[in-house]
Amino acid sequence: MLERLWKSFQGTRLGRSVFRVGLPGSNLERAQAAISSFFLHFQPAKVNLRTLKFRTTLGLGLISLYLFLILSVTGVLLMFYYVPSTTRAYQDMKDLEFVVTAGQVLRNMHRWAAHLMVLSVVLHLCRVFYTAAYKPPREFNWVLGVCLFLMTLALSFTGYLLPWDQLAFWAITVGTNIAGYAPVIGKKLQFMFLGGHIVGESALIRFYVLHVVVLPCAAILFIAVHLWRVRKDGGLASPAEPAVLREELQPAQLPLTKTYGLMELARGTTPMVGIKPEEEVFAWPNLIFREILLFLATVAVVLVLSIAFNAPLEEMANPVHPPNPAKAPWYFLGLQELVSYSAFWGGVVVPGLIVLALLLLPYLDSRRRGVGVWFSRQRKLAIGVFTFCLATAVVLTVIGTVFRGPNWSFQVPWKPAPAATDGP
Amino acid sequence: MNDSSVRRLYPWFTVLGLLVGGLVVAAFYKDQFREWKEWQRRYIKQEIARAATPDQRAQAARLPVEIHQYVLTEPERVDRCATCHAAVEDPSYGGLPQPLAYHPNHDRHPFEKFGCTICHQGQGRATTRQAAHGQVEHWDRPMIELKYIQSACAKCHLPSDIPDAPQLARGQAVFEDSGCIGCHKLHGSGGVIGPELDRVGATRSPEWLLKHFKNPAAVTPGSAMPPIGAGDADLQALTLYVMSFTGEPLSAYYVSMKTLPGTLAGRRLYEERGCPSCHSLAGKGGKLGPPLDQVAKRHDPQWLMAHFKNPQAISPGTIMPQFYLSEQETRALTQFLLSWSDTNVIGFLKTPATMTPIERGKGVFRKFGCAGCHGLEAQGGIPNPNAKTAQQVPGLKYVSEGYTKEELRKRILDGQREIVSLDTRKPPAPLYMPAWRGKIAQGELDDLVEYLRSLTPKGEKLDF
Repeated sequence: MLERLWKSFQGTRLGRSVFRVGLPGSNLERAQAAISSFFLHFQPAKVNLRTLKFRTTLGLGLISLYLFLILSVTGVLLMFYYVPSTTRAYQDMKDLEFVVTAGQVLRNMHRWAAHLMVLSVVLHLCRVFYTAAYKPPREFNWVLGVCLFLMTLALSFTGYLLPWDQLAFWAITVGTNIAGYAPVIGKKLQFMFLGGHIVGESALIRFYVLHVVVLPCAAILFIAVHLWRVRKDGGLASPAEPAVLREELQPAQLPLTKTYGLMELARGTTPMVGIKPEEEVFAWPNLIFREILLFLATVAVVLVLSIAFNAPLEEMANPVHPPNPAKAPWYFLGLQELVSYSAFWGGVVVPGLIVLALLLLPYLDSRRRGVGVWFSRQRKLAIGVFTFCLATAVVLTVIGTVFRGPNWSFQVPWKPAPAATDGP
Repeated sequence: MNDSSVRRLYPWFTVLGLLVGGLVVAAFYKDQFREWKEWQRRYIKQEIARAATPDQRAQAARLPVEIHQYVLTEPERVDRCATCHAAVEDPSYGGLPQPLAYHPNHDRHPFEKFGCTICHQGQGRATTRQAAHGQVEHWDRPMIELKYIQSACAKCHLPSDIPDAPQLARGQAVFEDSGCIGCHKLHGSGGVIGPELDRVGATRSPEWLLKHFKNPAAVTPGSAMPPIGAGDADLQALTLYVMSFTGEPLSAYYVSMKTLPGTLAGRRLYEERGCPSCHSLAGKGGKLGPPLDQVAKRHDPQWLMAHFKNPQAISPGTIMPQFYLSEQETRALTQFLLSWSDTNVIGFLKTPATMTPIERGKGVFRKFGCAGCHGLEAQGGIPNPNAKTAQQVPGLKYVSEGYTKEELRKRILDGQREIVSLDTRKPPAPLYMPAWRGKIAQGELDDLVEYLRSLTPKGEKLDF
């Protein structure tokens, strides 16, 4: 029935002026749906069957992208109600909760989508590692991805300050203090972040501009190039890929069974090189529909969380009343735990080495073994090292979250140490 | 591999699409049924029921259900209490149960200029009952109970200047009697043995304060503060007064009330305008008019104000002339007269010229809070564990026997930081005599010495 409605709309002049290609009915039209549409043309006309399977990638890259979209939309809506001034910010959060229609849900969506995005970006990184999808020719795309990961953390961190409550203020105090531990440039770096020596009006407006303009634009740029490189590097990494380096690629043979009229030039690193007809399907509707379903599922999860759980808002930021302990946002708690052992080694050297290792990984480990296979046995060492580092990070984060009480003392969560008493 | 395989996906579209749609509806649903809308609807129903004519009824029925707020620019506040308490400005709703009740004397402090939370505290921006009353986590200024509401007056008014807040004035008197500032600093002046009191009203609950006054050591282990020896009503008043120490920054518009003329200006006016030529106070003055010592007990403040403005109208045939006083001057004089019938108002409100050095010295004794350690009227008895002076702060009744005037002066100016311990193995005594040099003026010191020397009971002979 919907199809009939659509077809009648298509028949009108208005319909034809907007949608150049109607609902595809033939293979030609299916191919055109992808390549002649503005919004869909970042997909190829045809994709490998593997791409449709959920377990190939767990859809984590897409989930990250969708969460970014949700964050952008909810973020803009929040911008209508928020003024980044130390006297206004907290009051605007209260107004969102009490006055704005669906204001609380809107804020919750933004917060939970942000946490979920940090999580999904990390999981996406793990997936790409475990399926060896960073190996040549995808090295640069991995680097772009690491940059996007850092941008995600920066977006989350800059946004964390904006409510201007105790939670925000002291988390950012801890975070910028950690930045200040870097040798030589540390204090200057901290001054640059804060626009001063204290977390105050300058810091708030600076973080706001970064959060709302600079980082999203940079992220969109990097995402665009990241997706472009996915196409140009040969689509999703697959074990059936020719295991040769770029320079050694031969022009593939045109399969003799294909008879339709689209040019199927098959040279280079596009996903169509060497693919067999029984392995490929049209992006429209097979891939696109699944992507839409995943989007709906992501939105549903975010909505459920937002209706069920309220984003926290503590007292207004009070520079003379630090909580004990003052904790960074959860994704930095592993870092804060490390810093509690040693400010220089834990706060500067180890994180610096981790980021460096991540960036250089595909250039150090470029032997094309186990590409496109989950937990390939040919990569036991790499998988072992990575899993160890990941587990350590998780353990440190858990310790920082749950097992640290006042004065960063060790405590078990079911017997919390009493905080310094401060009146009734 | 085309449409047949995606046909399998269609049910998922329906399920997820309906789910997302349902969730979006649910998100907005919560908004439709906000609790404040219910209360406003009840108010509108009341208005409709009270309408006398069909026209009024139609008007009442058209009243919108919306948020009512008072927006103040300095301090930046928005108070949305009237969203539920919709009838605060309508006297015909007096006596009704909350939240539909009228706020008594609503025009005295117009809500557009003052809002609600300046006096009542709570969370003005909130629109749910729990949150607005501030009884939620992460809000440290909950609504104060009505019985303590007078404490809010002291944010803008001087406590002794508010006829409608007698408990506040009583509390201030108890505070000064008990000599609290001998150990605690307030507004920059006072002793340093105990903590500063400037924000104690904002950081401690009234229940804590009351318990603290009754038995400090029970609430703060190891405290050297003695229990305040006063009756329950006085302790309540003291709690109420101390609750007014919130340290809240309010703009000059509000706080200027403290600088408006009150009792002290009234005293000056009383002398300047020549009132003592016909009237007497404390036996000093003229006898043409009636003595004014207890006039406030005979007439209420409104009568006094009206009498100042036009004596002939109020007391026909009187020879009291019209003084053409301004509104502020009338108010100041009235306050001054009111202060006379409150026997707790201390000596230094009397004109200094009419006071003896001993009376002035008593005022100095109160001003610096000596009673906090030396006891009310210096009789001693305040515990000072491990002090060689019988583990007590010594009383001052016999200082004239033990000290010359010079020694007494020196002792007050220099203090005594090191208190001799009874048992040197135990921690030293917590209370000590502070040095008052630089804090007490020469004239005050002389008067204080006179007062202290006058404390010795007459005719007693000491047998050492």
